[in-house]
Amino acid sequence: MAIEAAREAPAGLVPEGKVRGRWGSRSLLGWRLGGYLVLVGAWQLLSAFVFEPYILPAPTAVLSEMWEILNRGDFLPNFWATTRHLAIGFVLAYLVGTTVGILMGRSAYWDGFFRDYVMLTLTTPGLVFALICVMLFGLSTAAPIVAIVLTSFPHVTVNVVEGVRAIPRDLVDMATAYGVPRRTVLRDVIVPAVAPFLFVAVRYGFAIAWKITALTELFGGREGVGVQIRVKFELFNMAGVIGWAFFLIGLALITERLILQRVERHFFRWRPRAFA
Amino acid sequence: MQLTAPAPANTFGRVRRAFLTPRAARITAPLLFLAAWQLIAPQIPSRILPMPIEVFDAMVEQARDGTLVENFSVSLARLTLGFAFALVMGGVVGVAMGLSRRLEAVLHDFVIVGLTFPYLIWGLLVAMWFGFGGQGPVIVVFIAALPYVILNAAEGVRDVSKELRDMAAVYEVPGSRVLRHLILPSLSPFFFASLRYGLANGWKGLVLAEVFAATSGAGWAIAEMREYGHFAGVVGFALYFAGFSILVERLVFGRLSRRVFRWRPAALERGIETTQ
Repeated sequence: MAIEAAREAPAGLVPEGKVRGRWGSRSLLGWRLGGYLVLVGAWQLLSAFVFEPYILPAPTAVLSEMWEILNRGDFLPNFWATTRHLAIGFVLAYLVGTTVGILMGRSAYWDGFFRDYVMLTLTTPGLVFALICVMLFGLSTAAPIVAIVLTSFPHVTVNVVEGVRAIPRDLVDMATAYGVPRRTVLRDVIVPAVAPFLFVAVRYGFAIAWKITALTELFGGREGVGVQIRVKFELFNMAGVIGWAFFLIGLALITERLILQRVERHFFRWRPRAFA
Repeated sequence: MQLTAPAPANTFGRVRRAFLTPRAARITAPLLFLAAWQLIAPQIPSRILPMPIEVFDAMVEQARDGTLVENFSVSLARLTLGFAFALVMGGVVGVAMGLSRRLEAVLHDFVIVGLTFPYLIWGLLVAMWFGFGGQGPVIVVFIAALPYVILNAAEGVRDVSKELRDMAAVYEVPGSRVLRHLILPSLSPFFFASLRYGLANGWKGLVLAEVFAATSGAGWAIAEMREYGHFAGVVGFALYFAGFSILVERLVFGRLSRRVFRWRPAALERGIETTQ
């Protein structure tokens, strides 16, 4: 169940209620597009007739601001800095998260050891970690990276633990009884059982990671999307804040949709459609 | 699991065994953390990382001079208010979404965007819109909790078993009993999930918004301490945040979910505990 939930709503924990994507049916497509039209239309009208442009800039104003940012040359260095923080931090968080997850899934002792810490970091606001990391590491690139590891590894861990517990015990026992080589068991029983959870772990961890990156950069950093958002905020440049926010969300969406999902689909291409 | 073997005769063995139980591990972990902190803190140049004892003093001070109680109670009031709005509005919208596929087509994407959109950006936007008066954070709680409430309400409505409803109609079961024994029990897991995830995310959004859009509250207080370089205070307040998370998670949700779901088989109850 957790798998479907994460698949539909990659960037948030959707617990009990799975999101049912039913956009396959053609008749509802009009309604769906209508929603977008109403939103953008309302935004445009409100900014044109109700609010001053510095309170609510028109969608076109945000677009032209984004175009300007792209042309001014401060886009690439900041975007690249955030991407770098995110990449390093997330890879580390994933390694730590999987290691802890395997330990916790296999041994009751390690489960007791890490349980409180994992629960605690899942529920404590990212703000707290961002502030402490900025305090300890100052303006260096270590601050966002450590903050990513601390906040996003438990989300990886929780899923890996579930994966380890989903390994079919009886199949492993049977394989052992029939003297199947360990490598074959690993490849044909354990990896297929754990793999979906490992991918869900990527989604969950990443959903946290990109937000904490921007947050930490905002509180202290030399370059990065978060730094730029802070600058625009201090200048009371609403279009700039929204524009940079869209760049940040774009980075997350592109990574999520074009890279993570594609890898996942490639990995699971052997599965029947219904599961994929 | 492996620890149920017969106890060894000598006391040394027994003590060692006691240390290796998962229960002991839950105590060992924070003690090791504390020891590591005590050892590392003096090594860090310029004493940025305060010693545990300094943090303890700061925590006592915060508890005594009212910083703790005042700010947390302001934040809790905001959380309650914002979440109440989200519950009403999200309940209405969610039930409507569960009943109408057209409405679902219109709103689905926005709900998903709502799950994904960083609270940081909302915090900055409400700061620019509403200033530092404190309405901003309430609105961010509302925005943060709303998609969780909507999704769960919609899913809950869909989840009410049609067969059982039909059967109740055939046997002419009175409406009040249908409500009490069929509809409410099948809605309650979803209501509970929206409570849990809505509040958890509302809290995260709230403290972040308080940094930018308020001059009181837990989030504002910790950011303010960092601003003034009161590092022991920051770490101490962070520990209060962690304690607060544990309190809510253990006492409120642990107890409450056990009571609400006492009719369920134990296996399912466990499922609820692990999905987060």
